[in-house]
Amino acid sequence: TLFLKTLFLKNQTKNPISDRVLRVGALKVHPSEILPATLTYDTLRFGEFEDFPETSEPVWVLGTQFSALTEKDEILSDITSRLWFTYRKSFLPIGGTGPTSDTGWGCMLRCGQMILGQALVCRHLGRDWRWVRGQRQREEYVSILNAFIDKKDCYYSIHQIAQMGVGEGKSIGQWYGPNTVAQVLKKLAVFDSWSRMAVHVAMDNTVVIEEIKRLCMPWLNFEGAGCSEAAAPREMNGCLEGACAMAEEETALWRPLVLLIPLRLGLTDINEAYIETLKQCFMMPQSLGVIGGKPNSAHYFIGFVGEELIYLDPHTTQPAVEPSEDGQVPDDSYHCQHPPCRMDICELDPSIAAGFFCKTEDDFDDWCARIRKMSCSRGSLPMFELVDSQPSHLISADVLNLTPDFSDSDRLERFFDSEDEEFEILSL
Amino acid sequence: MPPFERTQHPKPFKQRKSFATRQQEVAGIRMKFPTKIPVIIERYQREKYLPLLDKTKFLVPQELTMTQFVTIIRNRMTLMPSQAFYLLLNNSGIASMSLTMAQVYKEHKDDDGFLYMTYASQEMFGQSD
Repeated sequence: TLFLKTLFLKNQTKNPISDRVLRVGALKVHPSEILPATLTYDTLRFGEFEDFPETSEPVWVLGTQFSALTEKDEILSDITSRLWFTYRKSFLPIGGTGPTSDTGWGCMLRCGQMILGQALVCRHLGRDWRWVRGQRQREEYVSILNAFIDKKDCYYSIHQIAQMGVGEGKSIGQWYGPNTVAQVLKKLAVFDSWSRMAVHVAMDNTVVIEEIKRLCMPWLNFEGAGCSEAAAPREMNGCLEGACAMAEEETALWRPLVLLIPLRLGLTDINEAYIETLKQCFMMPQSLGVIGGKPNSAHYFIGFVGEELIYLDPHTTQPAVEPSEDGQVPDDSYHCQHPPCRMDICELDPSIAAGFFCKTEDDFDDWCARIRKMSCSRGSLPMFELVDSQPSHLISADVLNLTPDFSDSDRLERFFDSEDEEFEILSL
Repeated sequence: MPPFERTQHPKPFKQRKSFATRQQEVAGIRMKFPTKIPVIIERYQREKYLPLLDKTKFLVPQELTMTQFVTIIRNRMTLMPSQAFYLLLNNSGIASMSLTMAQVYKEHKDDDGFLYMTYASQEMFGQSD
């Protein structure tokens, strides 16, 4: 693997040739790798990945802008620092008797781990933190990694995610969509008292500011309080106790927010009117990227260059990792050390969830301001809507049960007596 | 026992009736109910998770917002609030949820006079062996 690293570095510096890629069977292999000495299983695997393109177009990775011409090392170091969760095998059976590997079904669950992992990195280490291979890591980093180890007791393990999915109608081993994993992460985050993050999943393409402020500052009294979800009182008590004992002042004012927005940007293909707005999501400093994929294959999208999305791919099966006795985790396999995958933005499956992290209330206010300013240039559409509060008439349950208006129906029946399909009339 | 599910029409509404028939139908119903919007709602042909609605044709109050309308349809299908549900206009975009039906109608109505919407949840990701 040390050899892999050298090759990796070599590829970064060897620019003119690395753009050219030869195809050997189904694999893409760099010309430099067809030297007898380097033709090993590892290099062949590594050879599947094209080097980063030489382009003057900006490269955006999770809200940070880079130049592909002058900052290639920085780009790769940033991407390698992200937590990379892949299929694993030989972990203890899920639920005691279930699967011991998630190959073939766990890709969206792994993408969920990656986007939440990025939130935890932002929460505990900061966006600018970098992973250095082979170095003894910071305590917070070790704690984050421990939350994702493939064991039933870890906060966000494959075991926890698969089992919590049962409540969302998914039996263990069933495929997830972006919304499924978002809903599960929201439930699991409640138990993570170390991070005290509030995970909000904005449904129906609508982000309601009041809902989020209520969630992140539950100790404040909001007008019209009392109509929130049943889970609120319990959470509120927990936070009040926590608020007194909080070591960090900032989380006493605002629970760090993970905002996940599940979307459908078209039926079979992504509607091109959303492409510009999607790109803008990766340009926001609060960006946690996007979980989604190509049909059947889930990916964690972390940025874009030109018309290509940059992503981390969970579709590699690695053996499950066992933490050593001193609590350290062999962390090499949790970072993607080859040039990242790229794909044409038009190939994106329309079902996605966009993620954002707002550590403070100011971060969230800034996010709102940016969304409002997001210029919708000609022909492009916003992917979701930002509103101050949920319209009050929605809170009252009576209005929602709109029943067919029978007086109207009678008239309609006379009118359309001979019709095969009748209208259903809704009245307010 | 799952409730009896109506089978989906093999053809969408637009293909079942001629343009002239649809146009006439809208003209008739608009005359009778000038303040209501004629809407066709169909399930995405490849949708696997959401149930079929028992009606395709709706007359919707023009002052109703998209949010309210989506809530009505969600309730009709007895979906959990955490379930994904998207109502796409003319098989493409999602209307801004704060718009009223009248506004959406003005912008997106078909040449035949109906407003067409398709509903879908989200795709699931995985690989079959």
